[in-house]
Amino acid sequence: MSRKGVGLAAFDRSRITSAQYASHGNNLRSSHSTSIATQLSVFRSLLQQFAQTHAKDIRSNPSFRAEFARMCAAIGVDPLASSSGAGGKDGGGSFWAQMLGGSVNDFYFELAVRVVEVCGATREENGGFIGVKEVKDRIMSTRMEGGAEITDDDILRAVNTLKPLGSSYSTLIVGHKTYIRSIPKELNTDQSAVLEAAQLLGYVSVSMLILNLRWPRARAKTAIDDLVSESMLWVDKQSDEWEYWSPGFMLEVDNGNAG
Amino acid sequence: MSLSYPLSLASSGTTLVPSSVSTTTRTGKPISDSETFTYPREYNFPPFFTLQRISSTSHAQSQKWSSLIQSYCRFHRLFKLSLIDAVSSPLFHNARINKRLELNDAREMVEFMRKEGRAEWIGSGKGDERRNTAWIWWRNPEEWANAIAEWVEETGQKNTVLTLYELTESDITVSQEFHGMDPEVLQKALSTLVKRGKAQVFGQEDQQGVKFF
Repeated sequence: MSRKGVGLAAFDRSRITSAQYASHGNNLRSSHSTSIATQLSVFRSLLQQFAQTHAKDIRSNPSFRAEFARMCAAIGVDPLASSSGAGGKDGGGSFWAQMLGGSVNDFYFELAVRVVEVCGATREENGGFIGVKEVKDRIMSTRMEGGAEITDDDILRAVNTLKPLGSSYSTLIVGHKTYIRSIPKELNTDQSAVLEAAQLLGYVSVSMLILNLRWPRARAKTAIDDLVSESMLWVDKQSDEWEYWSPGFMLEVDNGNAG
Repeated sequence: MSLSYPLSLASSGTTLVPSSVSTTTRTGKPISDSETFTYPREYNFPPFFTLQRISSTSHAQSQKWSSLIQSYCRFHRLFKLSLIDAVSSPLFHNARINKRLELNDAREMVEFMRKEGRAEWIGSGKGDERRNTAWIWWRNPEEWANAIAEWVEETGQKNTVLTLYELTESDITVSQEFHGMDPEVLQKALSTLVKRGKAQVFGQEDQQGVKFF
């Protein structure tokens, strides 16, 4: 389109063209950014509207809540993480906190407080290691009649909200169960194996481990003793062979005997 | 009057939500026979009946026993617990899972409660003989005193004289938790009120009266 210019005038011309390109680029950019801003504000208001109209559902209906959380994740939005970001303090928290404040965030934060309470109250009996299901059952059992139902998924999300606090709360999968660990402690593979075995019947014994895992007696004994000393197993001496019970089993035994 | 107890109970067990709603409705009225005592979940957990030797586990266990013994005695309105009898009662013997708390272990649990201010050994003699019977303070004399004083206040009976019989056995207190309470505990409760200058006890053995200020 442009002719190759010769002579001094060419310098002027090229300066003019590049200036024109630049201004055109600016126009494009600004029109883009306004349209994106419009889109964003539309999206924002729609999401806000959605969160508001469905606030009740989000709080009370666990599957709806899980879907909402999944939707947010799919569009690259984490309502929990963004709310803990350094949002404008004057504006009353970040964008997401403002938008979802009354519903999603508070729901998980309140739940997180409950989780911390349960973990704290049971730390002595279980060594700071408790199944998600037990936490859920304990929280549910103390809720008022007609309170919102919560799921394992909610508990796990709530635990994740504790991360920015730099706390020691983390989740951990042993066997087919997910646990919440409230004190920083690593399990070695033998200890995990023992806990996994204890999930089946609620307890293990030294000879069970020898038989099923083909461990030498000393290894079985050490793994059990370690867990006992961490309060993660309780000993029952009123059986033929001492049985070592997982404290998480307190709830489940109870279920079989209502009354 | 009903608040102080459930709160102190809550500290020994699950501490999630003030359970006062369900608990307060039950205080006051003597529990009818038709209700059965609900055992806590740990009652069906076999190791609960073996003393745990790791200190934190053992502490958790003692607290659970303390709270179970208190609520059991409260439910059955037992003020005194004879451990020798109790070890064969359902409190310390879970027949369903065939586990029992041995006498000595039961003693340790009550000893734990004594340190918490929730039990007091009754008895003389040496060693374990001394530790066969205990007051179980699901409400301690101080708390009983407060309950009585509050009732006197509410019903405007200050400066009137009541017999001890009226206080615990007559119809006027039938809705109160201290109705039918152990006479010895009543004496202890009243004596704390006397010490505080809130009551005066007079009369002979079985003809005693009390005046509240």
